[in-house]
Amino acid sequence: MEISYEDKKDCKVMTGKMALPNHYFAGRLGSKFIIALRDENKILGVKCEKCDKVFVPPREYCERCMSKLDECWVELSNEGVITNYTVVNYNDKHLPRRAPYILALIKVDGADTPFPHIVEGIDVEDVEVGMKVKAVFAEETTNTIRDLDHFEPV
Amino acid sequence: MAEYFGTAVEDIFNTMEERFLSEGTLDVDVTIGYNISGEGGGNWKVTIKEGTLKVEDVDGEVTDCTAILNANAETFVGVTLGKLDAGEAFSSGNIKVDGDLTVLVAVLPKAFKPFKPVIKASAIVESVEERFRPEKAEGVDIKIGYDLSGDGGGQWTVVVKDQTCTLKEVLDDDCTVIMRMEAQVFVDLNQGKLDGGTAFSSGQVKVDGDIGAAGQSASLFEKYVAEGAAEEEGEELISLKCVPSINQRYATGPTMGKWFDGLKEKKFFASKCPQCGRTLVPPREICAQCRVRCNEFVEIGPDATVTLIDVVYYASPDPLTGKIRETPYTALFMVLDGVSRDESFAHDLNPKDIDRIKPGMKVRPVWAEKRTGSYKDLLYFEIAD
Repeated sequence: MEISYEDKKDCKVMTGKMALPNHYFAGRLGSKFIIALRDENKILGVKCEKCDKVFVPPREYCERCMSKLDECWVELSNEGVITNYTVVNYNDKHLPRRAPYILALIKVDGADTPFPHIVEGIDVEDVEVGMKVKAVFAEETTNTIRDLDHFEPV
Repeated sequence: MAEYFGTAVEDIFNTMEERFLSEGTLDVDVTIGYNISGEGGGNWKVTIKEGTLKVEDVDGEVTDCTAILNANAETFVGVTLGKLDAGEAFSSGNIKVDGDLTVLVAVLPKAFKPFKPVIKASAIVESVEERFRPEKAEGVDIKIGYDLSGDGGGQWTVVVKDQTCTLKEVLDDDCTVIMRMEAQVFVDLNQGKLDGGTAFSSGQVKVDGDIGAAGQSASLFEKYVAEGAAEEEGEELISLKCVPSINQRYATGPTMGKWFDGLKEKKFFASKCPQCGRTLVPPREICAQCRVRCNEFVEIGPDATVTLIDVVYYASPDPLTGKIRETPYTALFMVLDGVSRDESFAHDLNPKDIDRIKPGMKVRPVWAEKRTGSYKDLLYFEIAD
């Protein structure tokens, strides 16, 4: 029995719906990170003095030397650069924006690690790696990373 | 009974049993004596041996122990509650230890959970005048009776009239409402450990008289806060509960399409690598070892030999429906007849076979009656007897 890849007779599409009851605990460090976004509009990270690396979002241990970092808080800039991006081109109700929108990796000034967030205020055609962006905070809290609503070009 | 910082010396010893951490003391063998002087004091002997605990209330001074702690009652309670500084108590001589001091430092933190003062129903009722909120009591004229039974219970009447509040240590006959419950239930309600509605509907609280007044009374008073509780305000932690519903769209391509077509006919198909000859189950377009296309298909199974069994007791949701799966359920790894070595395939096991299933057993597929060429066509496997 042979199969031909030109022959589409066996190709089919299955649809389904995945409902996943989630209970996500932000953790001690994650909570402090979100609370700082929410209450002070500040982006916090943790710094490993030994490796001279600043991690955002904060994590409890340095991934390089395993030093405990839970007390090593640093306040970072609300501005940063896009280190990479993708354009989301489909709509679904669990997604945070209508397509098309930009999901970028943003390294805020002072940090060594980028984190993903939405970029607005610019056409999806015009986004570039290296572009300077600044944080825009949400007016209403959701107690999530989306208390930082999005980034926009400086 | 003499109390210091709201706690009696006895309370500390009486709660040792429930605070004991057996697993922390498996390699411990000590006796600790306590000579507590002053009102409410006494003598106790605590034996911790290989994960067991014995607390004895003894007559006369305790001697002959690994370590003996001598203190007055107030110092002992204060240090235990963290109200007094332990180091200071030692250096000032308010606490003296005979014998091996290191036993207390090394063993006690491992052996016991910290002592938390017992909150008494009477303390909550007696603070009612301080907690009264006159601004909420405009035009309110009620008498609330409390009839609390059991340890720490008693009878009280709280009179609210003309925006003032008075407490009487009797139960008046003409109360607007009387609430009867165990003293502990009352404490739990005030601590937020028990919900008022639940307590009432489960019969733990009985209300005589005007039930509306009982509900209204809650807003007349500030929440009771235990002495010292406000100091240790917890840090805010964030958690998020949500049920995201994600639309799935899976394009089979010709290879997996062939597999699903097979299920419709109660058949299993594997793709076969033209180079190494191994079969791939479910079929894949490319042999990942030889990196060549696999265009040839062979029919395999339908029976299989079990290689590995995972019995899952964790009540996880089925991602396709979001419904919590019945537990236990079993993920069965098996080699379908006619496939090459190492090519195991995973599917569910009929729950009725969970107790009997063993590696090496032969199993057979159970098919859905109505098959459409989808993953739903194959229900599960069962033991082939």
